[in-house]
Amino acid sequence: MLKTKDLSYWYQDASQPLFKDVNLEFEVGQSYAILGHSGTGKTTFLSLIAGLDRPKDGEIFLGDRSLKKIGLTNYRRHDVAIVFQAYNLFTYMSPLDNLLTAMAITNAEHAGDKAYAGQILRDLGIGEDLITRNVQHLSGGQQQRVAIARTMACDAKLVVADEPTGNLDEDNTNAVIAQFQKIAHDQQKCVIIVTHEPDVAAQCDHQYRLENKQFTQLA
Amino acid sequence: MNFCKRAWLNVWAKKGRSILLILVSAAILMFVLAGLLIRSAAIKATNQAKADVGATVTLSANRQAAFKQMRKSSSSSSSTSSRPKLTLTPVKLSDATKIAKLSNVGSYNVTSTTSANAKSYDTVSTSTGMGGSNSGGPGGMKSGSSSSGDTQIDGVTATSLTSDFSDKQSKIVKGRGITASDKNTNHVVIEKELASQNNLSVGDTMTFKQTTGSKTTVKVKIVGIYKASSSSSSTAGPMSTDPSNTVYTSYTLANSIKGSKYAGTADSVTFNVTTPSKVSSVKKAGNQLISTSKYTLSTDDASYQTVKASMSSVESFANKIVWLVAIAGTIILALIVILMIRERRFEIGVLLSLGEARWKIVAQFFTEMIMVLVVALAIAGAGGKFVGNQLGSQLVSQTATTTQTTSTTSGQPGGGNQGGGQPGGQSGHTGGPGSSSNSTTKADTKLAITVSAVDLAELGGFGLAITFLSIMIASGGILRLEPRKVLIS
Ligand SMILES: Nc1ncnc2c1ncn2[C@@H]1O[C@H](COP(=O)(O)OP(=O)(O)OP(=O)(O)O)[C@@H](O)[C@H]1O
Ligand SMILES: [Mg+2]
Repeated sequence: MLKTKDLSYWYQDASQPLFKDVNLEFEVGQSYAILGHSGTGKTTFLSLIAGLDRPKDGEIFLGDRSLKKIGLTNYRRHDVAIVFQAYNLFTYMSPLDNLLTAMAITNAEHAGDKAYAGQILRDLGIGEDLITRNVQHLSGGQQQRVAIARTMACDAKLVVADEPTGNLDEDNTNAVIAQFQKIAHDQQKCVIIVTHEPDVAAQCDHQYRLENKQFTQLA
Repeated sequence: MNFCKRAWLNVWAKKGRSILLILVSAAILMFVLAGLLIRSAAIKATNQAKADVGATVTLSANRQAAFKQMRKSSSSSSSTSSRPKLTLTPVKLSDATKIAKLSNVGSYNVTSTTSANAKSYDTVSTSTGMGGSNSGGPGGMKSGSSSSGDTQIDGVTATSLTSDFSDKQSKIVKGRGITASDKNTNHVVIEKELASQNNLSVGDTMTFKQTTGSKTTVKVKIVGIYKASSSSSSTAGPMSTDPSNTVYTSYTLANSIKGSKYAGTADSVTFNVTTPSKVSSVKKAGNQLISTSKYTLSTDDASYQTVKASMSSVESFANKIVWLVAIAGTIILALIVILMIRERRFEIGVLLSLGEARWKIVAQFFTEMIMVLVVALAIAGAGGKFVGNQLGSQLVSQTATTTQTTSTTSGQPGGGNQGGGQPGGQSGHTGGPGSSSNSTTKADTKLAITVSAVDLAELGGFGLAITFLSIMIASGGILRLEPRKVLIS
C-alpha cells in the first residue's frame, strides 16, 4: 500500500544523510514498529511518510501514485492519520468535539455523526462522563486514547504514530498498543509506530531497526 | 463552516483570555470612536456654521475705476482750473434684480444712504463732545458740491436684512422695523435716544430738510423705535454725528431725499448667498450681468472663512486621533495576536497534520477576533460617547478662544470708508467685513457628540480593518510553520 523508493533525507547543516536509498513496503492489515537509537532519524522518516515534509531524494508512493502527485495537504487530509507523542488534541474541546472536528476536516464518511464518534470513544474506555469534558482534564493515557480514537474515526488507511506510549505507564502502554493492533486487523489499516521500547515493538506484526542509514527487518 | 465552530469553541472555552482581549479591543475602539465622534461633530458644526453665518456679495459703484477715470481726466487736461471730479455711478436696481435671480442668491438688501438736517426735532449730540449737534461731519474729503446733514438717513429694503439688525447690534424696541412693504412710504424707524430726547413715539411725525437742491422739507412718520448697542457706535468710526441720529427708512424715501435723479438707484445692494462656499461663483456670474467699469461686486465671507478655519482645525485634529489610535491599536493588537498564535503552534500543527488548509486556520483566528470585536464594539459604543464628550468639550474650549481672537481682529477694519464721501455720505456701516462674525461664530463652536448608527458602522469598519491587519501580520508565522515542527518538538 505504501512504498518508499530510494528514499534519502539529510538536514541542510548535516554532513551525512540520516538515511539513504531506503526501499520499504507497508501493507494494510499489518502493524509495523520502527526501532532505533535516539537521533538516528526515526521521527524524520515518519514525518516523510506522514506527508509532513518532503524527501531530499527518492519518492513515496501510495498505491501507484506518488505523494508529490497527490499533494501533501490532500494526502494528510485523506490518506494518513497521525498520533504524536503529546499535544495531539485541541485543548479547548471535549474528546467528542476533537473527534468531530477531525472528522469534519478530513471529510470522513461519518462526519457529523456524534453517536459514531461517541461509540469509538467508549470502546477505548473513555467513559460517558469524560466524553464531553474538556480534554485538559483527562490523564495522559486517556488523552492518548482519544488521539487513537481520532485515527479510528477518520477514514485514512495509513496510521502513523511517533512514540505514542512515550508518556504512558505499562498498563496504558499495553492498552494503547492493543488498540493499534485492532486498528490494523479489524479496520484493515496500515499502522506504523516509532518506538524505542522493544516490548512495544514486539507486539507489532513487523519490526524494523534504523541503523547506519538503513532499515533492517528484525526476525 | 468548521473553522467557525472551532473559533466559537475556543472563545468560549478560554473565557478569561477572551475577556482580556475584549477589554483591550474595547479600549482601542473607544479611542477610535472618540476621534470619529469629534470629527463627525466638527463636520456637522461646520456645515451648520456655514449655513448660519452666510456670506454676502455687495453690488456698489466701482470706486477704483472712478478714481482712475478722475486721475486720467485731471492729467489729460492741461489747465488746472477744472477741479478733477469723482463720478460715482449709483447702482441701478434693475441690475440688482437680475443678480437676485442667480442661483444661490437668497434675499437682498438695497442700501441708499443720505443725510438731512433736522427740522422738527433736535439731534443727539455725542457725549464725548465731538463737536455740536449741527456741526456736520468732518467727513474726510467731501466733494464740495454737497454738504452733509446732521441726520443720517439709511434707506434699506428691510431693517432686518441689515447687518446691524441681523447681528443684534441694533434691536427694535417699539413698533416695528422697516420692511419691504414700506417701499414708497414715508415711514421711518428712529433711535431710542433721539426719540426720548424729542419726546417722539410710534405714530408721531417729524420733519427733515434736504441738504441739497431745493432744500425742501420732508415729513415722515415714525413706525418703530430701535435701540443701538454701544458697540455699534464704535463701528461708526469717524462719522461725525452720534449713531443715535441714524434714521432708517425705505430706500425709496432715501432716494427721494437725495433728489429725483436717484430714483431706481442705490448706493449698494447686498445679496445674501445661501451657500457660502458658492460666493465666488455668484460673483463671477454677477459680473457677467453688470458693467464692471462702473460697478463692482465685492464679497464678504470672512465669518464663513473664520468658522471654516477653526472647525477644520478641530476636524484635522480628530482625524489625527483616529489614525494615530488606529495605527497604535493595530500594532498593539497585532503583538497580542502574535503572542497568542505562537502559544497555539501545537494546535496549528495538529490542524495542519489533519490536512486543514492554512487559510482556514487564519480564518479561524479571524473569526475568533470578530467575535471579540462584536462585544468590544458594544462596550466602546457606550464608553466612546463619554470619552468623546470629554475630549470634545476640551477641544471646544480651546477653539472657542481661538475663534474669538480671530473674529475680533477681523472686526477691526470695519467702517473704513476710504476716500471721499458721496453726496450724503456713504456711511461706514456698509463696509466692515467681519463685523458680523463676532456673535455668530461663538455659538457655532459647540460640538454635539452623539453616537449614531453611522458612527458605529464606521467604527466597526475600523475595528475590522485593525483586526484584519493584526491577524495578517501575525499569521505570517502560521503560513510559514512547518507541521513537522510539532512532531519533532
Ligand atoms: N530541523 C533540524 N535541523 C537539523 N538537524 C535536525 C533537525 N531536526 C532533527 N535534526 C537532527 O536529525 C537527527 C535525527 O532526528 P530525529 O528527531 O529524526 O531522531 P529520532 O530518531 O526521532 O530520535 P529520538 O529517538 O530521540 O526521537 C538528530 O541528530 C537531530 O539532531
Ligand atoms: Mg523521535
